[in-house]
Amino acid sequence: MTDQTTKIECQNLSKIFKQRSGKVQIPVLESISLSVVENEFLVIVGPGQCGKTTLLRIIAGLETPTTGKVFLDGKEVTGPGPDRGMVFQKYTLFPWKTVMGNVEMGLKIGGMSKRQRREVASHYINLVGLQGFEKAYPHQLSGGMKQRVGIARAYANNPKVLLLDEPFGQLDAQTRYLMEQETARIWSVEKKTVIFVTNSIEEAVYLADRIVTLEGKLPGRLKSTYVVNLPRPREHIDKEFLEMRHTITKETELLL
Amino acid sequence: MKTTMGHTVSVHAASHGNGKGTAAHIGKVVKNRYVLYFVSIVSLLVIWHFSAVIGESSKYMPTPAMVLTELWRIAHENLAGKNLLGHLWSSMHRVLIGFAIGSLVGVPLGLFMALNRYLNALVKPIFDLFKPMPPISWISLAILWFGIGEESKVFIIAIGAFVPALINSYNGIRLVDPALYDAIRMLGANRWQTMIEVTFPAGFPALFAGLQIALSVAWSCVLAAELVSARSGMGFLIILGMTMSNPAMILSGMVVIAITAYLITVVLSNVEKWVCPWKVELPQ
Repeated sequence: MTDQTTKIECQNLSKIFKQRSGKVQIPVLESISLSVVENEFLVIVGPGQCGKTTLLRIIAGLETPTTGKVFLDGKEVTGPGPDRGMVFQKYTLFPWKTVMGNVEMGLKIGGMSKRQRREVASHYINLVGLQGFEKAYPHQLSGGMKQRVGIARAYANNPKVLLLDEPFGQLDAQTRYLMEQETARIWSVEKKTVIFVTNSIEEAVYLADRIVTLEGKLPGRLKSTYVVNLPRPREHIDKEFLEMRHTITKETELLL
Repeated sequence: MKTTMGHTVSVHAASHGNGKGTAAHIGKVVKNRYVLYFVSIVSLLVIWHFSAVIGESSKYMPTPAMVLTELWRIAHENLAGKNLLGHLWSSMHRVLIGFAIGSLVGVPLGLFMALNRYLNALVKPIFDLFKPMPPISWISLAILWFGIGEESKVFIIAIGAFVPALINSYNGIRLVDPALYDAIRMLGANRWQTMIEVTFPAGFPALFAGLQIALSVAWSCVLAAELVSARSGMGFLIILGMTMSNPAMILSGMVVIAITAYLITVVLSNVEKWVCPWKVELPQ
Protein backbone atom coordinates (compact mmCIF):
# COMPACT_ATOMS: atom_id res chain seq x y z
CA MET A 1 0.00 0.00 0.00
CA THR A 2 2.03 2.84 -1.29
CA ASP A 3 -0.95 4.92 -2.31
CA GLN A 4 -2.33 6.65 0.76
CA THR A 5 -5.13 8.79 -0.72
CA THR A 6 -8.10 8.69 1.61
CA LYS A 7 -11.15 7.34 -0.21
CA ILE A 8 -13.76 6.93 2.50
CA GLU A 9 -13.92 9.02 5.62
CA CYS A 10 -16.50 8.39 8.35
CA GLN A 11 -16.74 11.17 10.91
CA ASN A 12 -18.27 10.43 14.28
CA LEU A 13 -21.19 8.38 12.93
CA SER A 14 -24.02 7.35 15.17
CA LYS A 15 -27.37 5.82 14.43
CA ILE A 16 -30.46 5.53 16.58
CA PHE A 17 -33.37 3.53 15.21
CA LYS A 18 -36.74 4.84 16.28
CA GLN A 19 -39.88 2.81 16.23
CA ARG A 20 -42.92 4.36 14.61
CA SER A 21 -44.39 5.54 17.91
CA GLY A 22 -41.09 7.23 18.74
CA LYS A 23 -41.17 5.82 22.24
CA VAL A 24 -38.66 3.03 21.77
CA GLN A 25 -35.25 4.14 20.61
CA ILE A 26 -32.54 1.65 19.77
CA PRO A 27 -29.01 3.03 19.58
CA VAL A 28 -27.23 0.94 16.95
CA LEU A 29 -23.96 2.76 16.33
CA GLU A 30 -22.05 5.26 18.40
CA SER A 31 -19.15 7.58 17.55
CA ILE A 32 -17.68 5.64 14.66
CA SER A 33 -14.77 7.38 12.97
CA LEU A 34 -12.98 5.48 10.29
CA SER A 35 -11.06 6.09 7.11
CA VAL A 36 -10.16 3.85 4.22
CA VAL A 37 -7.34 4.60 1.79
CA GLU A 38 -7.27 3.87 -1.92
CA ASN A 39 -7.06 0.19 -2.87
CA GLU A 40 -7.16 -0.87 0.74
CA PHE A 41 -9.06 -4.02 1.71
CA LEU A 42 -10.74 -3.16 5.00
CA VAL A 43 -12.69 -5.83 6.85
CA ILE A 44 -15.15 -4.93 9.59
CA VAL A 45 -15.66 -7.86 11.97
CA GLY A 46 -18.28 -8.20 14.62
CA PRO A 47 -20.83 -10.68 15.91
CA GLY A 48 -24.44 -10.65 14.75
CA GLN A 49 -26.54 -7.65 15.77
CA CYS A 50 -23.60 -5.34 16.44
CA GLY A 51 -24.46 -2.71 13.88
CA LYS A 52 -21.89 -3.61 11.22
CA THR A 53 -24.43 -3.94 8.43
CA THR A 54 -25.96 -0.61 9.46
CA LEU A 55 -22.52 0.98 9.27
CA LEU A 56 -22.06 -0.35 5.75
CA ARG A 57 -25.53 0.80 4.72
CA ILE A 58 -24.75 4.29 5.99
CA ILE A 59 -21.58 4.35 3.90
CA ALA A 60 -23.67 3.10 0.96
CA GLY A 61 -26.13 5.92 1.52
CA LEU A 62 -29.03 3.52 2.05
CA GLU A 63 -29.40 4.74 5.64
CA THR A 64 -28.88 8.23 6.97
CA PRO A 65 -26.77 8.56 10.12
CA THR A 66 -28.36 10.21 13.16
CA THR A 67 -25.18 12.21 13.64
CA GLY A 68 -21.93 12.39 11.71
CA LYS A 69 -21.01 12.37 8.06
CA VAL A 70 -19.50 10.09 5.44
CA PHE A 71 -17.18 11.45 2.76
CA LEU A 72 -16.12 9.79 -0.46
CA ASP A 73 -13.16 11.53 -2.12
CA GLY A 74 -13.89 14.51 0.10
CA LYS A 75 -17.52 14.80 -1.02
CA GLU A 76 -20.29 14.14 1.46
CA VAL A 77 -22.41 11.04 0.84
CA THR A 78 -26.09 11.96 0.77
CA GLY A 79 -27.66 8.89 -0.79
CA PRO A 80 -26.97 5.73 -2.76
CA GLY A 81 -25.00 6.13 -5.97
CA PRO A 82 -23.00 4.30 -8.59
CA ASP A 83 -19.66 5.47 -7.15
CA ARG A 84 -20.14 2.75 -4.52
CA GLY A 85 -20.82 -0.83 -5.57
CA MET A 86 -22.69 -3.06 -3.14
CA VAL A 87 -22.70 -6.84 -2.79
CA PHE A 88 -25.57 -8.06 -0.64
CA GLN A 89 -25.74 -10.97 1.77
CA LYS A 90 -28.94 -12.21 0.14
CA TYR A 91 -27.48 -11.77 -3.37
CA THR A 92 -30.42 -9.52 -4.38
CA LEU A 93 -30.07 -10.27 -8.07
CA PHE A 94 -32.86 -9.21 -10.42
CA PRO A 95 -34.67 -12.52 -10.94
CA TRP A 96 -36.12 -11.47 -14.31
CA LYS A 97 -32.69 -10.73 -15.72
CA THR A 98 -30.15 -13.25 -16.95
CA VAL A 99 -26.60 -13.28 -15.63
CA MET A 100 -25.69 -10.93 -18.49
CA GLY A 101 -28.69 -8.71 -17.79
CA ASN A 102 -27.78 -8.45 -14.11
CA VAL A 103 -24.11 -7.67 -14.69
CA GLU A 104 -24.79 -5.03 -17.34
CA MET A 105 -27.62 -3.35 -15.41
CA GLY A 106 -25.48 -0.59 -13.90
CA LEU A 107 -24.02 0.24 -17.31
CA LYS A 108 -27.48 0.25 -18.90
CA ILE A 109 -28.63 2.72 -16.25
CA GLY A 110 -25.53 4.78 -16.89
CA GLY A 111 -26.60 5.03 -20.54
CA MET A 112 -23.87 2.92 -22.16
CA SER A 113 -24.66 1.51 -25.60
CA LYS A 114 -25.74 -2.10 -25.77
CA ARG A 115 -22.66 -3.35 -27.62
CA GLN A 116 -20.26 -1.60 -25.29
CA ARG A 117 -21.92 -2.78 -22.11
CA ARG A 118 -22.08 -6.35 -23.40
CA GLU A 119 -18.33 -6.17 -23.84
CA VAL A 120 -17.67 -4.79 -20.36
CA ALA A 121 -20.12 -7.20 -18.72
CA SER A 122 -18.57 -10.18 -20.54
CA HIS A 123 -15.20 -9.18 -19.18
CA TYR A 124 -16.45 -9.28 -15.60
CA ILE A 125 -18.47 -12.44 -16.13
CA ASN A 126 -15.22 -14.05 -17.23
CA LEU A 127 -13.34 -12.51 -14.33
CA VAL A 128 -15.66 -14.15 -11.79
CA GLY A 129 -15.55 -17.44 -13.71
CA LEU A 130 -19.10 -17.55 -15.04
CA GLN A 131 -18.41 -17.74 -18.78
CA GLY A 132 -21.00 -19.97 -20.41
CA PHE A 133 -23.72 -18.94 -17.92
CA GLU A 134 -24.53 -15.57 -19.52
CA LYS A 135 -28.05 -16.64 -20.44
CA ALA A 136 -28.90 -18.41 -17.16
CA TYR A 137 -31.47 -16.93 -14.81
CA PRO A 138 -30.59 -16.48 -11.11
CA HIS A 139 -32.93 -19.27 -9.97
CA GLN A 140 -30.91 -21.70 -12.06
CA LEU A 141 -27.67 -20.89 -10.21
CA SER A 142 -26.21 -22.15 -6.94
CA GLY A 143 -25.61 -19.76 -4.04
CA GLY A 144 -21.92 -19.39 -4.81
CA MET A 145 -22.64 -18.66 -8.46
CA LYS A 146 -25.30 -16.12 -7.53
CA GLN A 147 -22.81 -14.26 -5.41
CA ARG A 148 -20.29 -14.34 -8.26
CA VAL A 149 -22.93 -12.54 -10.31
CA GLY A 150 -23.38 -10.08 -7.43
CA ILE A 151 -19.66 -9.37 -7.39
CA ALA A 152 -19.48 -9.03 -11.18
CA ARG A 153 -22.48 -6.69 -11.16
CA ALA A 154 -20.81 -4.43 -8.60
CA TYR A 155 -17.43 -4.54 -10.35
CA ALA A 156 -18.83 -3.89 -13.84
CA ASN A 157 -20.19 -0.52 -12.77
CA ASN A 158 -16.61 0.52 -11.97
CA PRO A 159 -17.35 2.00 -8.54
CA LYS A 160 -14.74 3.87 -6.53
CA VAL A 161 -15.44 1.70 -3.51
CA LEU A 162 -16.77 -1.82 -3.23
CA LEU A 163 -19.00 -2.58 -0.23
CA LEU A 164 -19.60 -6.23 0.65
CA ASP A 165 -22.17 -7.04 3.33
CA GLU A 166 -21.49 -10.55 4.70
CA PRO A 167 -21.46 -11.75 1.11
CA PHE A 168 -20.74 -15.40 1.93
CA GLY A 169 -22.93 -15.68 5.01
CA GLN A 170 -25.44 -17.91 3.25
CA LEU A 171 -22.95 -20.32 1.71
CA ASP A 172 -21.82 -23.70 2.99
CA ALA A 173 -18.29 -23.95 4.41
CA GLN A 174 -16.67 -25.41 1.27
CA THR A 175 -18.17 -22.84 -1.07
CA ARG A 176 -17.31 -20.12 1.38
CA TYR A 177 -13.60 -21.04 1.32
CA LEU A 178 -13.66 -21.12 -2.44
CA MET A 179 -15.38 -17.75 -2.67
CA GLU A 180 -12.86 -16.20 -0.26
CA GLN A 181 -10.08 -17.41 -2.53
CA GLU A 182 -11.93 -16.09 -5.55
CA THR A 183 -12.48 -12.71 -3.90
CA ALA A 184 -8.76 -12.42 -3.12
CA ARG A 185 -7.92 -13.43 -6.69
CA ILE A 186 -10.38 -11.00 -8.31
CA TRP A 187 -9.19 -8.20 -6.05
CA SER A 188 -5.58 -8.88 -6.95
CA VAL A 189 -6.44 -8.78 -10.67
CA GLU A 190 -8.50 -5.59 -10.44
CA LYS A 191 -7.58 -3.57 -7.39
CA LYS A 192 -10.36 -1.66 -5.67
CA THR A 193 -10.97 0.04 -2.38
CA VAL A 194 -13.01 -2.53 -0.47
CA ILE A 195 -15.03 -2.47 2.73
CA PHE A 196 -16.02 -6.01 3.62
CA VAL A 197 -18.30 -6.87 6.54
CA THR A 198 -18.20 -10.32 8.11
CA ASN A 199 -18.66 -12.20 11.35
CA SER A 200 -15.83 -14.62 10.59
CA ILE A 201 -12.40 -13.75 11.96
CA GLU A 202 -10.82 -16.35 9.72
CA GLU A 203 -12.39 -14.76 6.65
CA ALA A 204 -11.18 -11.38 7.83
CA VAL A 205 -7.57 -12.50 8.30
CA TYR A 206 -7.62 -14.23 4.93
CA LEU A 207 -8.78 -11.16 3.02
CA ALA A 208 -7.90 -7.99 4.88
CA ASP A 209 -5.15 -5.42 4.71
CA ARG A 210 -6.65 -4.04 7.87
CA ILE A 211 -9.29 -5.36 10.26
CA VAL A 212 -11.47 -3.30 12.55
CA THR A 213 -13.58 -5.03 15.17
CA LEU A 214 -16.85 -3.81 16.60
CA GLU A 215 -18.00 -4.39 20.13
CA GLY A 216 -20.36 -7.25 20.63
CA LYS A 217 -23.39 -5.38 21.90
CA LEU A 218 -25.44 -2.36 20.95
CA PRO A 219 -24.64 0.37 20.38
CA GLY A 220 -21.77 -0.75 18.17
CA ARG A 221 -18.48 1.03 18.82
CA LEU A 222 -15.11 0.49 17.24
CA LYS A 223 -13.01 -1.78 19.38
CA SER A 224 -9.59 -2.46 17.88
CA THR A 225 -7.69 -2.24 14.63
CA TYR A 226 -5.30 -4.88 13.30
CA VAL A 227 -3.01 -4.46 10.32
CA VAL A 228 -2.56 -7.75 8.48
CA ASN A 229 0.81 -7.79 6.77
CA LEU A 230 0.82 -11.42 5.73
CA PRO A 231 1.95 -12.10 2.15
CA ARG A 232 -0.73 -13.03 -0.40
CA PRO A 233 -2.01 -15.51 -1.38
CA ARG A 234 -2.52 -16.54 2.20
CA GLU A 235 -2.77 -20.00 3.68
CA HIS A 236 -5.30 -20.74 6.41
CA ILE A 237 -2.81 -22.97 8.25
CA ASP A 238 0.31 -20.78 8.16
CA LYS A 239 1.75 -20.14 11.59
CA GLU A 240 1.42 -16.35 11.29
CA PHE A 241 -2.13 -16.71 10.02
CA LEU A 242 -3.14 -18.78 13.00
CA GLU A 243 -1.37 -16.45 15.42
CA MET A 244 -3.22 -13.46 13.98
CA ARG A 245 -6.49 -15.30 14.22
CA HIS A 246 -5.70 -16.28 17.79
CA THR A 247 -4.87 -12.71 18.81
CA ILE A 248 -8.11 -11.33 17.42
CA THR A 249 -10.20 -14.16 18.80
CA LYS A 250 -8.81 -13.62 22.28
CA GLU A 251 -9.84 -9.99 22.19
CA THR A 252 -13.34 -10.44 20.82
CA GLU A 253 -16.41 -12.29 21.94
CA LEU A 254 -16.52 -14.25 18.71
CA LEU A 255 -15.61 -17.89 19.02
CA LEU A 256 -14.33 -18.37 15.51
CA MET B 1 -39.80 -40.47 -21.71
CA LYS B 2 -38.23 -41.49 -18.42
CA THR B 3 -41.20 -43.67 -17.53
CA THR B 4 -41.13 -45.40 -20.88
CA MET B 5 -37.50 -46.30 -20.36
CA GLY B 6 -38.30 -47.54 -16.88
CA HIS B 7 -40.94 -49.79 -18.40
CA THR B 8 -38.57 -51.30 -20.93
CA VAL B 9 -36.06 -52.09 -18.24
CA SER B 10 -38.55 -53.79 -15.95
CA VAL B 11 -40.13 -55.72 -18.83
CA HIS B 12 -36.69 -57.13 -19.57
CA ALA B 13 -36.23 -58.17 -15.99
CA ALA B 14 -39.64 -59.84 -15.98
CA SER B 15 -39.05 -61.74 -19.20
CA HIS B 16 -36.15 -63.51 -17.57
CA GLY B 17 -38.74 -65.37 -15.56
CA ASN B 18 -37.94 -63.69 -12.29
CA GLY B 19 -41.11 -63.68 -10.16
CA LYS B 20 -39.87 -60.82 -8.03
CA GLY B 21 -39.26 -58.78 -11.18
CA THR B 22 -42.86 -59.22 -12.32
CA ALA B 23 -44.19 -58.06 -8.96
CA ALA B 24 -41.93 -55.05 -9.06
CA HIS B 25 -43.12 -54.37 -12.61
CA ILE B 26 -46.77 -54.45 -11.59
CA GLY B 27 -45.99 -52.25 -8.62
CA LYS B 28 -44.33 -49.75 -10.90
CA VAL B 29 -47.27 -49.65 -13.30
CA VAL B 30 -49.76 -49.22 -10.45
CA LYS B 31 -47.75 -46.34 -9.02
CA ASN B 32 -47.35 -44.61 -12.39
CA ARG B 33 -48.92 -41.16 -12.28
CA TYR B 34 -50.59 -41.42 -15.68
CA VAL B 35 -51.98 -44.87 -14.93
CA LEU B 36 -53.53 -43.42 -11.79
CA TYR B 37 -54.97 -40.47 -13.73
CA PHE B 38 -56.58 -42.96 -16.10
CA VAL B 39 -57.94 -45.06 -13.23
CA SER B 40 -59.38 -41.95 -11.63
CA ILE B 41 -61.26 -40.82 -14.74
CA VAL B 42 -62.52 -44.30 -15.62
CA SER B 43 -63.86 -44.89 -12.10
CA LEU B 44 -65.71 -41.59 -12.22
CA LEU B 45 -67.35 -42.58 -15.51
CA VAL B 46 -68.20 -46.07 -14.21
CA ILE B 47 -69.73 -44.75 -10.98
CA TRP B 48 -71.60 -42.12 -12.96
CA HIS B 49 -72.91 -44.71 -15.42
CA PHE B 50 -74.17 -47.13 -12.79
CA SER B 51 -75.74 -44.48 -10.61
CA ALA B 52 -77.59 -43.29 -13.72
CA VAL B 53 -78.94 -46.70 -14.78
CA ILE B 54 -80.15 -47.80 -11.35
CA GLY B 55 -83.93 -47.60 -11.13
CA GLU B 56 -85.69 -44.57 -12.53
CA SER B 57 -82.82 -42.19 -12.05
CA SER B 58 -81.80 -41.97 -15.73
CA LYS B 59 -84.80 -39.70 -16.24
CA TYR B 60 -82.97 -37.08 -14.22
CA MET B 61 -79.41 -38.30 -14.55
CA PRO B 62 -78.24 -39.27 -18.04
CA THR B 63 -75.40 -41.76 -18.52
CA PRO B 64 -72.04 -40.57 -19.87
CA ALA B 65 -72.90 -42.10 -23.22
CA MET B 66 -76.18 -40.16 -23.37
CA VAL B 67 -74.29 -36.94 -22.67
CA LEU B 68 -71.84 -37.72 -25.48
CA THR B 69 -74.70 -38.37 -27.91
CA GLU B 70 -76.39 -35.15 -26.84
CA LEU B 71 -73.10 -33.26 -27.33
CA TRP B 72 -72.89 -34.63 -30.84
CA ARG B 73 -76.50 -33.59 -31.52
CA ILE B 74 -76.22 -29.99 -30.29
CA ALA B 75 -72.88 -29.57 -32.04
CA HIS B 76 -74.67 -30.14 -35.34
CA GLU B 77 -78.22 -29.01 -34.72
CA ASN B 78 -79.18 -25.37 -34.36
CA LEU B 79 -80.80 -24.30 -31.10
CA ALA B 80 -82.26 -20.80 -31.20
CA GLY B 81 -80.35 -20.17 -34.42
CA LYS B 82 -76.92 -21.37 -33.25
CA ASN B 83 -75.13 -24.66 -32.81
CA LEU B 84 -72.91 -25.48 -29.82
CA LEU B 85 -69.88 -23.63 -31.20
CA GLY B 86 -72.03 -20.61 -31.97
CA HIS B 87 -73.27 -20.45 -28.40
CA LEU B 88 -69.78 -20.98 -27.06
CA TRP B 89 -68.56 -18.10 -29.17
CA SER B 90 -71.40 -15.85 -27.94
CA SER B 91 -70.23 -16.42 -24.38
CA MET B 92 -66.56 -16.06 -25.27
CA HIS B 93 -67.25 -12.83 -27.10
CA ARG B 94 -68.91 -11.31 -24.03
CA VAL B 95 -66.11 -12.58 -21.78
CA LEU B 96 -63.41 -11.06 -23.96
CA ILE B 97 -65.05 -7.63 -24.13
CA GLY B 98 -65.90 -7.56 -20.42
CA PHE B 99 -62.47 -8.87 -19.45
CA ALA B 100 -60.76 -6.28 -21.63
CA ILE B 101 -62.75 -3.42 -20.12
CA GLY B 102 -62.33 -4.68 -16.54
CA SER B 103 -58.58 -5.18 -16.79
CA LEU B 104 -57.93 -2.02 -18.82
CA VAL B 105 -59.49 -0.06 -15.97
CA GLY B 106 -58.38 -2.27 -13.07
CA VAL B 107 -54.70 -2.77 -13.87
CA PRO B 108 -53.72 0.90 -14.38
CA LEU B 109 -55.81 1.97 -11.40
CA GLY B 110 -54.12 -0.69 -9.25
CA LEU B 111 -50.69 0.44 -10.45
CA PHE B 112 -51.38 4.10 -9.77
CA MET B 113 -52.80 3.28 -6.34
CA ALA B 114 -49.66 1.33 -5.47
CA LEU B 115 -47.39 4.12 -6.70
CA ASN B 116 -49.22 7.11 -5.28
CA ARG B 117 -50.38 7.01 -1.69
CA TYR B 118 -52.64 10.06 -2.03
CA LEU B 119 -54.56 8.47 -4.87
CA ASN B 120 -54.57 5.26 -2.84
CA ALA B 121 -56.06 7.02 0.18
CA LEU B 122 -58.77 8.51 -2.05
CA VAL B 123 -59.72 5.38 -3.97
CA LYS B 124 -59.08 2.49 -1.58
CA PRO B 125 -62.00 3.11 0.84
CA ILE B 126 -64.47 3.14 -2.06
CA PHE B 127 -62.90 0.07 -3.61
CA ASP B 128 -62.90 -1.81 -0.29
CA LEU B 129 -66.62 -1.10 0.00
CA PHE B 130 -67.38 -2.51 -3.45
CA LYS B 131 -64.91 -5.39 -3.37
CA PRO B 132 -66.92 -7.87 -1.29
CA MET B 133 -70.06 -7.50 -3.44
CA PRO B 134 -70.41 -10.52 -5.69
CA PRO B 135 -70.43 -9.21 -9.29
CA ILE B 136 -73.65 -11.07 -10.03
CA SER B 137 -75.47 -8.98 -7.42
CA TRP B 138 -75.30 -6.14 -9.91
CA ILE B 139 -77.42 -8.00 -12.43
CA SER B 140 -80.78 -6.43 -11.61
CA LEU B 141 -79.36 -2.91 -11.72
CA ALA B 142 -77.47 -3.74 -14.90
CA ILE B 143 -80.67 -4.91 -16.60
CA LEU B 144 -82.53 -1.78 -15.43
CA TRP B 145 -79.74 0.42 -16.75
CA PHE B 146 -78.73 -1.35 -19.93
CA GLY B 147 -81.64 -3.62 -20.79
CA ILE B 148 -81.34 -7.35 -21.40
CA GLY B 149 -78.98 -7.00 -24.36
CA GLU B 150 -75.23 -7.45 -24.53
CA GLU B 151 -74.38 -4.37 -22.45
CA SER B 152 -75.74 -5.64 -19.15
CA LYS B 153 -73.80 -8.91 -19.47
CA VAL B 154 -70.59 -7.16 -20.43
CA PHE B 155 -71.11 -4.83 -17.47
CA ILE B 156 -71.30 -7.73 -14.99
CA ILE B 157 -68.24 -9.40 -16.51
CA ALA B 158 -66.27 -6.16 -16.48
CA ILE B 159 -67.03 -5.66 -12.80
CA GLY B 160 -66.05 -9.25 -12.05
CA ALA B 161 -62.74 -8.93 -13.91
CA PHE B 162 -61.99 -5.44 -12.58
CA VAL B 163 -61.68 -6.49 -8.92
CA PRO B 164 -58.97 -9.18 -9.15
CA ALA B 165 -57.13 -7.21 -11.85
CA LEU B 166 -56.91 -4.20 -9.53
CA ILE B 167 -56.10 -6.10 -6.32
CA ASN B 168 -53.31 -8.14 -7.87
CA SER B 169 -51.58 -5.35 -9.74
CA TYR B 170 -51.79 -3.24 -6.57
CA ASN B 171 -50.34 -5.98 -4.37
CA GLY B 172 -47.76 -6.97 -6.97
CA ILE B 173 -46.24 -3.50 -6.84
CA ARG B 174 -46.64 -3.06 -3.09
CA LEU B 175 -44.95 -6.36 -2.25
CA VAL B 176 -41.78 -5.89 -4.31
CA ASP B 177 -38.78 -6.90 -2.19
CA PRO B 178 -37.35 -3.57 -0.91
CA ALA B 179 -33.82 -5.01 -1.19
CA LEU B 180 -34.23 -4.93 -4.98
CA TYR B 181 -34.78 -1.18 -4.72
CA ASP B 182 -31.55 -0.89 -2.70
CA ALA B 183 -29.72 -2.84 -5.40
CA ILE B 184 -30.96 -0.72 -8.30
CA ARG B 185 -30.36 2.55 -6.46
CA MET B 186 -26.79 1.47 -5.69
CA LEU B 187 -26.34 1.04 -9.45
CA GLY B 188 -27.31 4.67 -9.92
CA ALA B 189 -30.93 4.45 -11.05
CA ASN B 190 -33.18 7.50 -10.80
CA ARG B 191 -36.88 7.22 -9.96
CA TRP B 192 -37.99 6.59 -13.51
CA GLN B 193 -35.30 3.96 -14.15
CA THR B 194 -36.17 2.29 -10.83
CA MET B 195 -39.77 2.00 -11.98
CA ILE B 196 -38.87 0.59 -15.39
CA GLU B 197 -36.15 -1.79 -14.25
CA VAL B 198 -37.52 -3.01 -10.90
CA THR B 199 -41.08 -1.97 -10.02
CA PHE B 200 -42.81 -3.22 -13.17
CA PRO B 201 -40.85 -6.42 -13.85
CA ALA B 202 -40.98 -7.40 -10.16
CA GLY B 203 -44.71 -6.74 -9.97
CA PHE B 204 -45.51 -8.39 -13.27
CA PRO B 205 -46.05 -12.01 -12.12
CA ALA B 206 -48.65 -10.90 -9.58
CA LEU B 207 -50.28 -8.67 -12.19
CA PHE B 208 -50.42 -11.57 -14.61
CA ALA B 209 -51.83 -13.86 -11.93
CA GLY B 210 -54.50 -11.20 -11.42
CA LEU B 211 -55.38 -11.33 -15.12
CA GLN B 212 -55.65 -15.11 -14.94
CA ILE B 213 -58.05 -14.85 -12.00
CA ALA B 214 -59.93 -12.04 -13.76
CA LEU B 215 -60.46 -14.22 -16.81
CA SER B 216 -61.79 -17.16 -14.83
CA VAL B 217 -64.07 -14.84 -12.83
CA ALA B 218 -65.23 -13.36 -16.14
CA TRP B 219 -66.07 -16.84 -17.38
CA SER B 220 -68.21 -17.63 -14.36
CA CYS B 221 -69.86 -14.19 -14.55
CA VAL B 222 -70.95 -14.69 -18.15
CA LEU B 223 -72.69 -17.92 -17.24
CA ALA B 224 -74.47 -16.31 -14.33
CA ALA B 225 -75.55 -13.37 -16.47
CA GLU B 226 -76.76 -15.68 -19.23
CA LEU B 227 -78.71 -17.79 -16.77
CA VAL B 228 -80.69 -14.71 -15.85
CA SER B 229 -81.49 -13.50 -19.32
CA ALA B 230 -80.07 -14.37 -22.70
CA ARG B 231 -80.97 -15.71 -26.12
CA SER B 232 -77.56 -17.20 -26.79
CA GLY B 233 -74.50 -18.48 -24.94
CA MET B 234 -73.61 -21.46 -22.81
CA GLY B 235 -75.70 -20.22 -19.88
CA PHE B 236 -78.69 -19.94 -22.20
CA LEU B 237 -78.08 -23.51 -23.41
CA ILE B 238 -78.25 -24.80 -19.84
CA ILE B 239 -81.47 -22.90 -19.16
CA LEU B 240 -82.87 -24.26 -22.43
CA GLY B 241 -82.03 -27.78 -21.23
CA MET B 242 -83.92 -27.05 -18.04
CA THR B 243 -87.05 -25.72 -19.75
CA MET B 244 -87.03 -28.67 -22.14
CA SER B 245 -86.36 -30.97 -19.14
CA ASN B 246 -83.40 -32.45 -20.95
CA PRO B 247 -80.72 -33.16 -18.30
CA ALA B 248 -78.32 -34.52 -20.95
CA MET B 249 -78.32 -31.11 -22.59
CA ILE B 250 -77.62 -29.38 -19.27
CA LEU B 251 -74.74 -31.72 -18.55
CA SER B 252 -73.36 -31.32 -22.08
CA GLY B 253 -73.32 -27.57 -21.51
CA MET B 254 -71.58 -28.01 -18.17
CA VAL B 255 -68.94 -30.28 -19.69
CA VAL B 256 -68.21 -27.79 -22.46
CA ILE B 257 -68.00 -24.96 -19.89
CA ALA B 258 -65.53 -26.95 -17.77
CA ILE B 259 -63.37 -27.90 -20.73
CA THR B 260 -63.31 -24.30 -21.93
CA ALA B 261 -62.28 -23.03 -18.50
CA TYR B 262 -59.56 -25.69 -18.36
CA LEU B 263 -58.25 -24.75 -21.80
CA ILE B 264 -58.15 -21.08 -20.83
CA THR B 265 -56.00 -21.98 -17.80
CA VAL B 266 -53.63 -24.11 -19.89
CA VAL B 267 -53.23 -21.42 -22.52
CA LEU B 268 -52.60 -18.71 -19.93
CA SER B 269 -50.02 -20.71 -18.00
CA ASN B 270 -48.17 -21.28 -21.27
CA VAL B 271 -48.35 -17.59 -22.05
CA GLU B 272 -46.92 -16.98 -18.60
CA LYS B 273 -43.98 -19.31 -19.25
CA TRP B 274 -43.34 -17.34 -22.39
CA VAL B 275 -43.54 -13.86 -20.86
CA CYS B 276 -41.92 -14.78 -17.49
CA PRO B 277 -39.25 -17.35 -18.34
CA TRP B 278 -37.49 -16.44 -15.10
CA LYS B 279 -40.32 -17.52 -12.84
CA VAL B 280 -39.51 -20.58 -10.77
CA GLU B 281 -41.81 -23.43 -11.69
CA LEU B 282 -43.54 -25.25 -8.87
CA PRO B 283 -43.18 -29.02 -8.95
CA GLN B 284 -46.48 -30.75 -9.74
